[in-house]
Amino acid sequence: MDHTPGTADTTQGGDFDPRQAAGLLDQATLQARRTFTPLTPLLLTFRAVALLVVFGGFWLSVRSQRPYTGHLSGAAVGVAVVLILINIGWSGLAIARAGTGVSGPAQRKWAAWTAIMVVAWIVGYAVAAPLYHAGASHPAWGLYPASAPLLIIGLAGAAVGAAFRYWPLAAALLAIAVVAAAAGFGGPANSWLTVAIGLCVVYLGIAAFTAWAQRRSVVRL
Amino acid sequence: MTGAELDPLIHVPTRLRIVATLAALPERDALSFTRLQDMLGLTPGNLIIQLRKLEEADYISSTKTRNGSVQQTNVALTSQGRAALRAYSHALRDLLGGLDIDATSPATPSITISAEDAEAQQTRRPGNSHSDRQR
Repeated sequence: MDHTPGTADTTQGGDFDPRQAAGLLDQATLQARRTFTPLTPLLLTFRAVALLVVFGGFWLSVRSQRPYTGHLSGAAVGVAVVLILINIGWSGLAIARAGTGVSGPAQRKWAAWTAIMVVAWIVGYAVAAPLYHAGASHPAWGLYPASAPLLIIGLAGAAVGAAFRYWPLAAALLAIAVVAAAAGFGGPANSWLTVAIGLCVVYLGIAAFTAWAQRRSVVRL
Repeated sequence: MTGAELDPLIHVPTRLRIVATLAALPERDALSFTRLQDMLGLTPGNLIIQLRKLEEADYISSTKTRNGSVQQTNVALTSQGRAALRAYSHALRDLLGGLDIDATSPATPSITISAEDAEAQQTRRPGNSHSDRQR
């Protein structure tokens, strides 16, 4: 067959050029990956910014406390509640959209993973409430909610992620645990700032990795 | 020129898109016929024809489930289908590697689409499908 690459007509019964085939294969794969990925790079970037704003807001509201009391401002808590609700709504929609029409063992595994992580988040932060009511000192209280719940969530998530062979997620959750552990050394107020910046960086990293994984070519190495 | 050969069953735009879409799912996961049709923008008739050809080659499997009074068909790529797509990707890579080295060569490898496949391609649209008309 003698023809110039890239000029084949693929809709009228002409030749299907390998270059066109490679382009079409990559395009179809990219579209499918985007469609089936529940945690999109945009959603992950939103989470990164939301975490920076929420934990950064907490830090702003406690950083000038002398002596440190750990009480968060109403505005910081309000912003956090709004961003958490947006995240829950957006995530729910994204997961439902990605899973529409899809069935099989991987879907059930993903549902189990989501349920475990929701429980881990609830348990991680639920532990803080009894500590507060038990009258833990303010420095301990101030240090604890910034680092310990995330340490629990990060380690539990990394273990479950490894068991499920979700290696990128396991690595990301381990990074969250490392950030939480590092925050424990920052002092009661600055631990919020460490968590804010650390989690933002981790989530931006996950977003970048997800975007790369979606875009990587099937044909070209 | 390399000795790579492109699987003629996959080397058709519509079927390539079907296989690539199903391959993006984890192994053994299936996609409903309607979702696949929506994603590819094909008419039901065209999609059925292409799926039948892939199923005859054991590249895909289809199962029917009943949810109340509604019957749903799910389609999944088989392990043979995944292996075939992998081999096809490798063959493309080999061919394109050869083309990169000798980009001016007029002897670009290609496969002619059969008249039947060409007709299927002509019915591909966006904005002209049964599902679009239903909306």
